[in-house]
Amino acid sequence: MSKLLIDVGSTYFKVCQTSGISQYFRDFKKDIYDDLITKCGNIFANYKKEDIFICSSANGGLSTLIIGLTNSFSLKFAKNIAFNSGINIIDTILYSKIEESRAPSELVDVVIIVGGIDGIGKVFDEKLFYYLKNVQYSNIVYVGTKQDVSFLSAQIPELKVLGNIITEKLHVNGGELKEYLTNLYQADIVGKEDIKHLYEITANQIYSTPYIVNRSLPLIDANFEVVNPFIVVDIGGATTDIHYSRDLVRDNIVSESGYDRLVFKKLGVFKSRETLIFAAKNNEFVYELLSYLNVTENILEEESEKALRILMQLSIFLVLYKVSRLNPLYVTLHLDLLNTIVLTGGITKVLSYEEVEMIMQFFYKKVMNLHATPNIVMDYDYAIWTLGMENNESKEPKCL
Amino acid sequence: MNPLQKICVNYTFNNVKIECKIIQILGQSMKVVTGVVGNDIHVVANRLIDISLQARGFEVFNLGVNTSLEEFIDAVVETDADILLISSLNGEAEGWCRDLQFLRSEYDLRDVVFVIGGNLAVGEAAQSDIVPKYKSYGFDLVFHQIDLNTGLDEIERFVKERA
Repeated sequence: MSKLLIDVGSTYFKVCQTSGISQYFRDFKKDIYDDLITKCGNIFANYKKEDIFICSSANGGLSTLIIGLTNSFSLKFAKNIAFNSGINIIDTILYSKIEESRAPSELVDVVIIVGGIDGIGKVFDEKLFYYLKNVQYSNIVYVGTKQDVSFLSAQIPELKVLGNIITEKLHVNGGELKEYLTNLYQADIVGKEDIKHLYEITANQIYSTPYIVNRSLPLIDANFEVVNPFIVVDIGGATTDIHYSRDLVRDNIVSESGYDRLVFKKLGVFKSRETLIFAAKNNEFVYELLSYLNVTENILEEESEKALRILMQLSIFLVLYKVSRLNPLYVTLHLDLLNTIVLTGGITKVLSYEEVEMIMQFFYKKVMNLHATPNIVMDYDYAIWTLGMENNESKEPKCL
Repeated sequence: MNPLQKICVNYTFNNVKIECKIIQILGQSMKVVTGVVGNDIHVVANRLIDISLQARGFEVFNLGVNTSLEEFIDAVVETDADILLISSLNGEAEGWCRDLQFLRSEYDLRDVVFVIGGNLAVGEAAQSDIVPKYKSYGFDLVFHQIDLNTGLDEIERFVKERA
């Protein structure tokens, strides 16, 4: 019997059968389970629970605060592992500046503390505890030098201690932390009241959508004309995920996968519309871009189809800007080496190829000072997600 | 008691007797962070420095070629190293190492010995011009166009005197 694949997004449900993909706008007055049953109950009746596979990005991922000893090793390694686990980094604190750093005002899902190779001690002191007093967090994990474990554990009883992510040769060893964060993310998805009920529909593990998309990347050239290095940009209602070939990064980190990912939690065109507009208004290029698109800034306040298209175009620009050399806060991708950009998610249902091309031309000309743009591929039928779901069934991940 | 000492360790590997000299401070091997600064890919020289340091009993953290100054300082902090030995062959160090004083001041690195060696200028330059310039950047020892072993002997002597 064939399989039924379901993606629970923040704005739409996507349901994939052999006959094709259909999508349903969510009713936010109902919980996810009830809404799904109302809209697709008759479809589910045709499948066994074992043949139904679900992934979800509806919760937007976890947030983390990283406290590290140096930028080049502790923070860089922890950031890379967190991004790859689908975690959103809300701030990073360099330990030498912890006394001047402000604690985040929002609740942090997990705090990561890292510093020093095994064998050196007294890296952390009272300053850390003083700072943590002002941080509201749900989990806290330590992945630094072994020598400080007993000192820190005595002061922070809830501290989860894992193996040091910095090896004795100053290389990254992210296995344990990645597994911990991925499980935490998974537990967060499963723990959500709405998602929990979905196990009444499926007998299979529910995964996060960015994880599923990431799994499909090594196989992507089977379905699309994609030339490495490439990026996949998944712009949805609440979040934007960017998956990229590691060939685009020069950070001397050796990782198992050839592809990393980055999740922008508050960059979406529906649920995160306000933060998207805020980010746009603060971008130095945006007014020039709006003029290039023949609209004024008033379009950002409008509720129309035209406004939605502009927001989608802005989100492509902003996501590329955020990973360009102009924005060192995030991972810097060498976009001059980029051969292909693949767009997937809700954006492909709204924008035409030409509209995406316009933005790419503007970005490459203004930000990159290049006249040539990468090849653009539009994944109109969520084929990347389908590929990931099918591939995931045959290769169960070790860490989930 | 002199905290710095050179001890001999003898061991046998595949029936071959090997004598190894290990430089220690208070019983611990001295740690050296090394690498090539800037856009410089002279990897052979880098490997020779790594091997020579290991042969002299240092624990080596080799960051390889194309390394930024910030990475060097950060590696010293992460490893609690005793010596930072930067090498440069294409002369780019002159531009890359100007911020050393600033980066040093970010951390408490008073006990670390800062060394630079190789070809430290683009084109011809006299020792008498180069050495004071790099010392003003914050280096304790500067070796411009000096034989590797001579430089390493000088580092050992300097560390011993300082201890």
